[in-house]
Amino acid sequence: MDRRQFIQLGALAGGTLVASHALAQGQSHAVPSAPVSARARTPSIVAPGGQVAVTTPNGSTLPWRKVGGVKVGHLVAMPVKHTFAPGLEVEAWGYNGSTPGPTIEAVEGDRLRIYVTNRLPEPTTVHWHGLIIPNGMDGVSGLNQRPIAPGETFAYEFTLNQPGTYMYHPHYDEMTQMALGMMGMFIVHPKRPRGPRVVRDFALMTHEWKVLPGMRRPDPNAMSDFNVLTFNSKAFPATEPLVIGRGERVRIRLGNLSAMDHHPIHLHGLSFEMTGTDGGFVPESARYPETSILVPVGSTRVIEFVADEPGDWAMHCHMTHHVMNQMGHAAPVTLGADARAIDRRVQALVPGYMTMGQDGMGGMEEMGMPMPANSIPMKGGKGPFGPIDMGGMFTLLKVRENPDTEDGSGWYVHPKGTVADKADPVRMDADGINPDVRFG
Amino acid sequence: MKTWSSSRWKRPAAGTLVASMLTLGGCVTVPLANDARDVHTTLGARWMPGGPVVGLTSEALRGEDADAAVRALLAQPLTADTAVRIALLNNRDLRAAMHELGVATGNLVQMSLPPNPEVELEMRKPTRGGQPLQGDIGLEYDLSELILLPQRRGVAQAERTAARALTAGEVLHLAYRTRLGFYEVQARHQQLELRNRALQVAQAGYGTAVELEKAGNVRALEVATERSAVESARLAVAEAENALLDSREALNVLLGLFGPRTQWTVDSPLADPVNDLDSGEGLEARAIEASLDLAELRGRMEAADRRHGLARTEGFLPHLSGGFHGEKDEDRWEMGAHLTVGLPLFDRKQGVRMAALSSRESLKARYEATATAIRASLRQARGRVESTGRRARHVRDVLLPARRQVLDETVLQYNAMQVGVFEVLRAQAAVTDAASTYVETLLDHHRARSALEQLLAGRHQGLELGSIRVSSMSASSGAAAAADAH
Repeated sequence: MDRRQFIQLGALAGGTLVASHALAQGQSHAVPSAPVSARARTPSIVAPGGQVAVTTPNGSTLPWRKVGGVKVGHLVAMPVKHTFAPGLEVEAWGYNGSTPGPTIEAVEGDRLRIYVTNRLPEPTTVHWHGLIIPNGMDGVSGLNQRPIAPGETFAYEFTLNQPGTYMYHPHYDEMTQMALGMMGMFIVHPKRPRGPRVVRDFALMTHEWKVLPGMRRPDPNAMSDFNVLTFNSKAFPATEPLVIGRGERVRIRLGNLSAMDHHPIHLHGLSFEMTGTDGGFVPESARYPETSILVPVGSTRVIEFVADEPGDWAMHCHMTHHVMNQMGHAAPVTLGADARAIDRRVQALVPGYMTMGQDGMGGMEEMGMPMPANSIPMKGGKGPFGPIDMGGMFTLLKVRENPDTEDGSGWYVHPKGTVADKADPVRMDADGINPDVRFG
Repeated sequence: MKTWSSSRWKRPAAGTLVASMLTLGGCVTVPLANDARDVHTTLGARWMPGGPVVGLTSEALRGEDADAAVRALLAQPLTADTAVRIALLNNRDLRAAMHELGVATGNLVQMSLPPNPEVELEMRKPTRGGQPLQGDIGLEYDLSELILLPQRRGVAQAERTAARALTAGEVLHLAYRTRLGFYEVQARHQQLELRNRALQVAQAGYGTAVELEKAGNVRALEVATERSAVESARLAVAEAENALLDSREALNVLLGLFGPRTQWTVDSPLADPVNDLDSGEGLEARAIEASLDLAELRGRMEAADRRHGLARTEGFLPHLSGGFHGEKDEDRWEMGAHLTVGLPLFDRKQGVRMAALSSRESLKARYEATATAIRASLRQARGRVESTGRRARHVRDVLLPARRQVLDETVLQYNAMQVGVFEVLRAQAAVTDAASTYVETLLDHHRARSALEQLLAGRHQGLELGSIRVSSMSASSGAAAAADAH
């Protein structure tokens, strides 16, 4: 490591101390709940060859202390109060006061010593998902080690021999501990950069939860019907947008530690190539362009792209129920029904009742009906043209000419004549379009 | 246990006796007015709280004044008190009971009358000779009957005392039954309203299912299921209507009403449970003290005692009669007297005495058994009042609000699209069910309270405590499990 690189790594450590301080102050505010609170900045260089630091939207990076040539870090497994989006706070479990836990970021060849303190009511372990390390450090309770009892602190120590995108999570009572949010990304930058240098490097952990409206504890028994879908444990509109510069090369590292569902993540406004998995780098010859990438359960996928078209672009899981917040699907469909006929009967008995969905479910957020406490059903976010009906595993890719001046809260200003709008009847007529045309 | 004495029960009948004696040699009328006043006096402090004895007078028991009073009372929606007043004015069984007391009064009057003297005239004329017509005249009086008269009157007096207690008990019983009947009508009215509401809920569910089915959103199964619920609810309404009709007719019988007069109305619901229950100390003693059932038995015991005394006197008292005799022999009278004395050698009323003693012992045993039963009923009624009151308050203050909260929360879950309209309606139906439970529990409470008041007023016969009603409510909250999402 040369002097320049050392200074850059020091800057990374200094930045992450902020998160460490937040942890010391209290667990509930370690992760900002607002979508955007600071201007996007060009990430620091943290690895040889100008490799930039990973940005974890809505998250943080684990700080290191260098001791005798070993990077020393500390993970504390603990209960956390977590806000998925304003209005929905849950009793979750995580690391260092947040879910997901801080992203672990290091460089190929680093010797790491990570202390794990258990402040959970039950034992735990940490498995370093995808990393090839000595067997006794692999973290499978009963197989590789005895579990870390509540109150105990274990030390994991290993050398990073392969670069790539990995994850960490418990391997004790996985069902409960992962369902409650115990997971994090683990990034190992290569000693020698591979491929074109990226300007921005993002890490997004996808996850799914079951939190019925009015509940505060994610249900670890759920095997299906998950109703809160998240990027880095945040549901839109609380997901922090990814602000990038037009023409910049960008890497997004996607992890999936959901219980049951794969997630086809779709990006608007660009195409990308998959450059890596938790098994390693994808050879250039094996890459092909895509706009959606399926991120299987228990896997990571790395994509890279250059966005040439400015604007606010949607990035979301393409499973339609994964972009809805807490909506149920046990109620009968009312689409096409005569709501007045139903209301007349039911409202005489239940004054607060109102039939919904007879004309479709779009714009339900605008109805302003009283909702159960601690819930965000039907809540999407606001956009420049009105409500965005999507929530959950949805975020925005903001491609800007000057990303470093953006804080991500503003909307793209479209050049005149570039926004779809109501058609001019004269123009339609000239083009031979008859809006009253009938089929069938 | 209370002891009894014969002297205590002599005074109330004295007026009746004097009045009856004044009619000696005159016309005879039914003693209704005096009997009614006597019963009224007997009830006195025993009378049920909140219900003065109205109309229990000879005037009210006769004719037009009573009719006018009944009409006036029926012109307004009935209350428990006005229903009792109407029953006291108009119930023919009560009038029959009053006249039955007149039978005992008549017996007492009869037993108070001294025996009549007997006059014997004899005329004779010889068939031969010129002797003039000869005449004998004799006067005979049964002295033993005269001697026994106070004892016979004492027996009749004791029997009338028992009859008076029985009649006063009948008054209480009628008032009690009328109150129960009125509460039953109130409850059946409320239950009919609630069943109609349940029917509305079911109809709303069915109507919704039909509308959804038209749009192709539900299966025929859902429609059929909702329709089935409507038909069940309709049946429940019909049953509730029938129950209301039955209860009205039962009350009509007690009120003595028929024809257009049966169109009375009730516009008040059952009152909330009453909190001002006595502490319970001394209640058993009060019930024993007030008991007309025991008073009747005491009267009958005294009558048996007196019958025994009378029989003993009769057994040892020789038959005595005496008289004067005059005989006109030609032109002069011969005067004389005689005394007849029977010899009690064989019939000394042993059998009558034995029967009277056995009757007395039997009554004494029944007295003790009745007192034991009164005490047990008192404890049972008081416990029932407390228990039903607590349950009713629990339903009103806890269960109903809980069900309403379930409904509110279900609406919120509906708003969040976690549950559907059918779950909302089921939550509403659960509120109605809780209200129905409240009505039944409240009815039990008022029945128990009436029973307790009846015991303290002095009547144990015909008490309807019945068996404990076990709630048939399900634990269903009415809310479906929150819907699973995505």
